[in-house]
Amino acid sequence: MTLSVTRSGTPVSRRTAADVPRRSVLGPRSLVHPPGVGLALVLPAILFVAVFVLAPLVFAVYISLTNWPLIGSYRFVGLSNYLNIAQDAAFWQSVGYTLLYTAIVTVPILVFGYLMAVVVRANRRGSTALRTIFFLPYVIGLSTLSFLTVLEAQPGSGGINAILKGLHITDGQTPWLVDAPLATGLICVLVIWAVSGLTMVLLVSGMQGIPRELYESAEIDGASWWGREFHITIPMLRRTIGMSLILSVIGSFLAFSQFYILTQGGPGRATTPIVLYIYNRAFVQLQVGAATALSIVLVIVVALISAGQFWLLRERD
Amino acid sequence: MAMDRRTFLQLSGLAGLAAALPACGSGILPEPDVTAAAFGTNATGTVTMWCRGATATGVEVVVNRFHQAQDKLHINLTPVPDSQYVTKLATAIRSGDVPDIVDIDDINSTLFIYRGAFTDLTPLVDALPFRTSLSPGHLRLATHEGHNYGVPYLADNSVLWYNKDLLSRAGVDPAKAVGTFDGLLDAARKVRALGSDTYGWSIAGNSPGVLGFVVQPHIWATGTDNIAGAIGTQRGHIEGNAPLRRTLEFYRSLWQEKLLPPANFVDAATTWGSDFKAGKIAFFPSNYAAAVVGADAAAVGRTGVTLLPGPDGGTAFFDGGDNLCIPRGAKNASGAWQFARFALDVAQQQLLPQGGYTPTRSDAATTAFQQKYALDLPALTHLDRGYAPLTLAYNLLYNQPDSPFISMFRRAVFNGDVDGALSAGQQGYDQILKQAQL
Repeated sequence: MTLSVTRSGTPVSRRTAADVPRRSVLGPRSLVHPPGVGLALVLPAILFVAVFVLAPLVFAVYISLTNWPLIGSYRFVGLSNYLNIAQDAAFWQSVGYTLLYTAIVTVPILVFGYLMAVVVRANRRGSTALRTIFFLPYVIGLSTLSFLTVLEAQPGSGGINAILKGLHITDGQTPWLVDAPLATGLICVLVIWAVSGLTMVLLVSGMQGIPRELYESAEIDGASWWGREFHITIPMLRRTIGMSLILSVIGSFLAFSQFYILTQGGPGRATTPIVLYIYNRAFVQLQVGAATALSIVLVIVVALISAGQFWLLRERD
Repeated sequence: MAMDRRTFLQLSGLAGLAAALPACGSGILPEPDVTAAAFGTNATGTVTMWCRGATATGVEVVVNRFHQAQDKLHINLTPVPDSQYVTKLATAIRSGDVPDIVDIDDINSTLFIYRGAFTDLTPLVDALPFRTSLSPGHLRLATHEGHNYGVPYLADNSVLWYNKDLLSRAGVDPAKAVGTFDGLLDAARKVRALGSDTYGWSIAGNSPGVLGFVVQPHIWATGTDNIAGAIGTQRGHIEGNAPLRRTLEFYRSLWQEKLLPPANFVDAATTWGSDFKAGKIAFFPSNYAAAVVGADAAAVGRTGVTLLPGPDGGTAFFDGGDNLCIPRGAKNASGAWQFARFALDVAQQQLLPQGGYTPTRSDAATTAFQQKYALDLPALTHLDRGYAPLTLAYNLLYNQPDSPFISMFRRAVFNGDVDGALSAGQQGYDQILKQAQL
């Protein structure tokens, strides 16, 4: 069989005499499959998506239109769960806090990830060990690190306070997790440390795809190290940086475990991000209907933010 | 029959919906028949039981004795952390896979009872020969429209402990000091003056559960509550609540005058009672477990106890503890009641102080019991002074980290903004109570 190309550019098959198969007892072979074969092949995937994605999504929309409590019977309440969001001061407080948290951590995660990538991108002796060390906090996971931080942030007994006391900076009694600004600062440092490793991996893979020739010709032209970074590396990493930022912002919007473990949203609601607020509405206040409506709004908002970022970071030819 | 792509996708969507909709049940599980012949006797198999972490030691003692007493029925006990108890039980009920019996904080049992999640035990409770000896406070929280949905199992009451040695060294007569805030404050100042390592008072200032447990009785002692109205129309009684303001100001004075240890600011009850047992604290509002269990003989010997006073007199205590309830949908309800009946026997009730708790049967206070557990008697012998608010929102109002009560307390006591705390507290109470009505 040979291939030819139509006027529109689509390759099509053209049979030669040698290509025609001999008849078999099973009937003539045909490139046209019997009806239903394609459907049968994709059926498992469609069923999987229908049961585990579409059905829960439809069910979630249904729940959001009821007063669904975790215990007891429920009734249809129309759009009131959605309409009540506008008057929910605690929700908007959590939105504001999430935006603040996102604003604090996004740029440092990118900057530290970039700096670590610069350190480990060349295949020098020790680069692999450094990559492992830098990526290790991400592998350990935020939940485990958060539990460790709970212990290390205790006044009097925690390692953080012991170090600060040893350096004569504090008296070793700093209540890190009881004071909202201190707790926010501590969580931000923890997250930047834990998550920068992922950004580093993404950027290293992008950096290794940049042709060496570009750097060589720049060096011949007398470009400095900074010049090569700003005029070659960063422009060539535009897509990768964009992807890192999008992942970082989505991760910040969906932050939960570090707050749940370290402060449980307190003191009061001062460190409650959106997802923790939704969790509390569903599983502490037992108002699953209202929480589901908030979840659906959050999904739409995150999708819009991601779309906006894609648009801002798109390649302009 | 040929099926085009559009039809196929439509049918797939319908199939997905069909898979989802069975979960849309009413949420009310079938109720066991407690009037069946031989219900609660000679049951076999396994009973799954949940207890809360804070009272697990008290329950484990009785479960072990039950297993020693017979071998046909096995209790499979699961302790659940207190802060997650309501959530986990509610989720289990929604999933339809419930434990056969729950040892639940009496203050939280009301929510499940009003939502129709527990079995009506009225005929069984009425048939108990010691029905009139049961803690009325516990029973009140387990009663809805005249029906009992739970039975009192153990009491965990907040009272006021004091160090007789420290008070004696400071020249304070406990009997005169413990009746009013003025007396307590004066005594606390004198004890603080004894040395840099002795304090007048101690409280776990960052524990929402403890604060609700030990601070509210001061207000209840005056006949006032922070919640006004009946379930369905409840709202906060915060602004304009004079005993509440007096109580916050009392604690503000204790903090401002450094009569509380600095560690109280961050204490989430992880070391609750250790400073009192070490002899450094004059007054310590808490329960029997925190003040006495684990203390050496010398510490027990110097400890005195009384009920918590109101600002100018009166007394009260938090009628806390656990009720035993059988969730609707329980598979071995008969076995569950058989165990409950065993746990209520005087012999088992008199073991409760070993775990740090108090019997819920007044007739358990025999002469021998009184001699052995003299420090565990004030609440048991003054059951009429016990109180706990009847509300569907106790967990939200008091036990959660973002509860309005702990926010109000910390703002007033540690920041000194009593007016702002009361104003924010009123809003917080009203918002939660509005959402939590039936």
